[in-house]
Amino acid sequence: MTQSLPIRLAGAFAICVAVGLSGCASEKTKYGDARGVETVTNQFGSTDLQMIAESMTRSMVNAPVVAAGNLPVMTVQEVKNKTSEYIDTRAITDSIRVELQKSGRVRFAADAAAMDQQIEELKRQQSDYYDPKKSTEIGKMVGASYRLEGNISSIVKEAKGVKDIYYKFNLQLWNIQNGLLEWTDEKEIRKTTSKT
Amino acid sequence: MKLLVLAVFIPASLIVAGCGGNKYERPGYAYNCPTGNDKKIKSKEDLIKAKLEVAGSLPDIDVVDLRCSDRATLLRIDMDLKNESKDVRRIAYRFRWLDKEGMRAWEDESWKPLLIYGKTLQTLTTMSPSQEATDFRLVIMDQDK
Repeated sequence: MTQSLPIRLAGAFAICVAVGLSGCASEKTKYGDARGVETVTNQFGSTDLQMIAESMTRSMVNAPVVAAGNLPVMTVQEVKNKTSEYIDTRAITDSIRVELQKSGRVRFAADAAAMDQQIEELKRQQSDYYDPKKSTEIGKMVGASYRLEGNISSIVKEAKGVKDIYYKFNLQLWNIQNGLLEWTDEKEIRKTTSKT
Repeated sequence: MKLLVLAVFIPASLIVAGCGGNKYERPGYAYNCPTGNDKKIKSKEDLIKAKLEVAGSLPDIDVVDLRCSDRATLLRIDMDLKNESKDVRRIAYRFRWLDKEGMRAWEDESWKPLLIYGKTLQTLTTMSPSQEATDFRLVIMDQDK
């Protein structure tokens, strides 16, 4: 069935208007400050992660075992998430490790997560493809003297349109040889959201 | 006779110098805090002014004291902020770290939210992140708006 010219024009006009309107309602994307205070929701966010990592690192570099300047070798173990929400605790320990390593006061040994790749690379270098004089030797890895572990917990309360979340992050540095707790610290964060 | 004068004058001048000086003072420092050889710093107020950067305006919040201390080759800093108003104020702060040549010594810290109750004093405490970070600025901004 053929359509008359006015109907075709009207259809084309309607499509143009629809496209134009949808263009008006489109999302805008802007770059923000990755280090800014983020209060989009009261769930665990980037500001909390950054504050925890910074607070723990600055405290730990003042601990006697680190401040002595002997470049202690550490390994990062698990940070248990005891909150009711999903938190990537590995992201927190990664940030702590970055700050500590950059401080130049500690060294990190391969942790359990990196061990498979470490062994795989060591084994690969023992193959005939490598110059034996220049490939790394097996049995030379350095074990950590200290291990970092911790946990994050929360208390959530909600009443009459007000939601209060209290986070507590605790980090501990254990001496692997003798089992002594060499340093520990915690960071508390409180966030309150009220409906207006 | 000359020897006698010298014998009296030298110990006396040493005693006077010892009494008049601050045992912590060293070149490039004032009140034990790094100044980056800023010659204009004559008082604690001058030092606070030199170390403080306010992003925008921040009425009612004053930095009233600043203390620095060396801890195992790192710099420990205490800054006292006072809320002069009766209301709770929310601000954000971060430290900016510089090396001895005034170059940036550490990446930007995260902005940290801080609540200060009305008519109270809040102490900010931090440690320099590395040995290279020998000087600092405190940057504060309003979070109530």
